[in-house]
Amino acid sequence: MSVRIGVEATGGEAAGPAPPSLLRRLTARPELGPFLLLVAELAVFGAINPQFLSPQNIGNVLTFTVELGLIALPMTLLMTSGEFDLSVGSVFGFSAVLMWTLFNTEVLSLPAAFLVALLVAAAIGLANGLFVTKLKIPSFLVTLGMLLVVRGTALFITDGFPQRTWKSSGEWIATVLVGDFYIGPLRVYMSLFWFVLAALLLGYVLTQTKAGNWIQASGGNPAAARARGVDVERTKIALFMLTSVMAALAGIISSIRTSAANPNSGMGYELEVIAMVVIGGTALMGGRGTIIGTVLGVFILRTMRNGIVLIGVPGLAYNIFIGAIILGMMSLHSWLDRRHQAGG
Amino acid sequence: MAEPLVRMERISKSYGSVQALKDVTFTVAEREIVGLLGDNGAGKSTLIKILSGAVPASSGEIWFRGRKLEIRGTQDAIAAGIETIYQDSALVPQLSIARNLFLGREPLTGPAFLNRMDKATMNRVAGELLARVGITKRIPPTTPISSLSGGERQSVAIARAMYFDSDLIILDEPTNNLGVAETQGVLRFVRNARDSGHSCIFIAHNIHHVFQVVDRIVVLRRGEVVADAIDPKRTSIEEVERVITGLDEEAAA
Ligand SMILES: Nc1ncnc2c1ncn2[C@@H]1O[C@H](COP(=O)(O)OP(=O)(O)OP(=O)(O)O)[C@@H](O)[C@H]1O
Ligand SMILES: [Mg+2]
Repeated sequence: MSVRIGVEATGGEAAGPAPPSLLRRLTARPELGPFLLLVAELAVFGAINPQFLSPQNIGNVLTFTVELGLIALPMTLLMTSGEFDLSVGSVFGFSAVLMWTLFNTEVLSLPAAFLVALLVAAAIGLANGLFVTKLKIPSFLVTLGMLLVVRGTALFITDGFPQRTWKSSGEWIATVLVGDFYIGPLRVYMSLFWFVLAALLLGYVLTQTKAGNWIQASGGNPAAARARGVDVERTKIALFMLTSVMAALAGIISSIRTSAANPNSGMGYELEVIAMVVIGGTALMGGRGTIIGTVLGVFILRTMRNGIVLIGVPGLAYNIFIGAIILGMMSLHSWLDRRHQAGG
Repeated sequence: MAEPLVRMERISKSYGSVQALKDVTFTVAEREIVGLLGDNGAGKSTLIKILSGAVPASSGEIWFRGRKLEIRGTQDAIAAGIETIYQDSALVPQLSIARNLFLGREPLTGPAFLNRMDKATMNRVAGELLARVGITKRIPPTTPISSLSGGERQSVAIARAMYFDSDLIILDEPTNNLGVAETQGVLRFVRNARDSGHSCIFIAHNIHHVFQVVDRIVVLRRGEVVADAIDPKRTSIEEVERVITGLDEEAAA
């Protein structure tokens, strides 16, 4: 399968100034591989277990998928700019704990506590960004350190116990963030709407705006970008802040939906999110990113997790499949990349 | 003589313990092409990086059109009308030709808050410019830089300097790794730039290329100016080579 894609992609490159046909443009895109993989997953799981495509199961998968997706979208922009953030999982857990602690101890109203949690997340992102850009410490080390600090803080302020969130019913902010409703037999949460909105918005930013050009340039060749007057540092700091705030939003949404704010929640999400982003075709080292690819990557991994359980593969085998997908997709992307470079 | 376009006065620069420039005073007049020569590590790139805002000077002043210019970053230099084409071609390989041409100065369309790039204009202008810098093969402006040859990349950098019509264009070894035709294209560009009223600083190791286009030669040696008014029309290449290597002083001693 992958061979055919590559050959046609080069065909698209060689087409020269005449606008390439729609088919050729499609096959030249890095998102095609992930798209076909997702379709294959849906077809195989659906064929083996019809339950897989039931409204109830689709609703279930969507619910948590979009919460991780809310982190993967800004992570795509951050990674395009040449950085990544390992602290998102801890911010996911910490922000919900912070909000509910402020609310349950009657320090603040829920909307005010929500706002404070987002502001604190923004400050965490700012700190990440400053360490990376001003002190020139690699984002791997900075955000690994931040992961420990934030997770440790969440555990410390809660003594390791989950916060109760039972008072959230009737709060308008809970309804806005994660209120549920039915589309026919399909139960969906408001978070789906926020995910779609974020995907459209960030996709627009990355491909259509001046800011998007700066993000790609910052990751592709920071020295060249700087020489053109692009504020590489400010671009990266802004993206660290955005990523952190979105991780907090995802954590809060998740805690309202499950009526639990556990200081341990979000553990390991950072790697799953980064995997989703790179599977979609965004370059780990920056310079190139795709929101469409990330949306596909998010669904590929979550569908796989759901599907293998439904077709009777033990859940413990999940990581084998995920690992194989990552390796397979990375090989495809790197191979397409080389065709691309050589083909022009 | 009239006020020079640029006057860099008593510029010094140290990288830690390495003193790259010592008390360098350097001027470029209006409509003048200055050749900046010197051996590897003489400080040529450092001097022009200070002028283009890429690195700060340790001390010294820069005057532009008679006014003192504070260059804190590349934006300040670009805003003043100083365009630089770097030795290590400063393009972003993943971005298209058009996106590179306009990087940092992207035209916008629609309401300002949408921050939307005017891609149609960018692609159209890029297409026209590519033809003007003599890229004969028809390359669409949406092609990523990574699939261009070294010469084509250099041409894109030159096209950028042409389009933004800067008062001073700095070329740091623009003819490196270029074929014969491409080199002639660069030299032609430099001559045209002067004819249309621009000034240039031209750095190259190939003295023949320098002799073909410049009005005046300045030589740096180990961070110091050792000659600043060599007229290529009255000087031989061999004499200039001796100044660059320091053999002239040994002969005099
Ligand atoms: N970023 C840096 N850090 C430390 N030292 C540097 C740095 N950049 C340049 N130098 C040193 O400063 C001196 C001048 O370097 P510069 O790049 O200006 O030379 P050049 O004349 O452009 O040489 P070339 O012809 O090889 O390009 C050299 O000794 C170099 O090693
Ligand atoms: Mg140099």
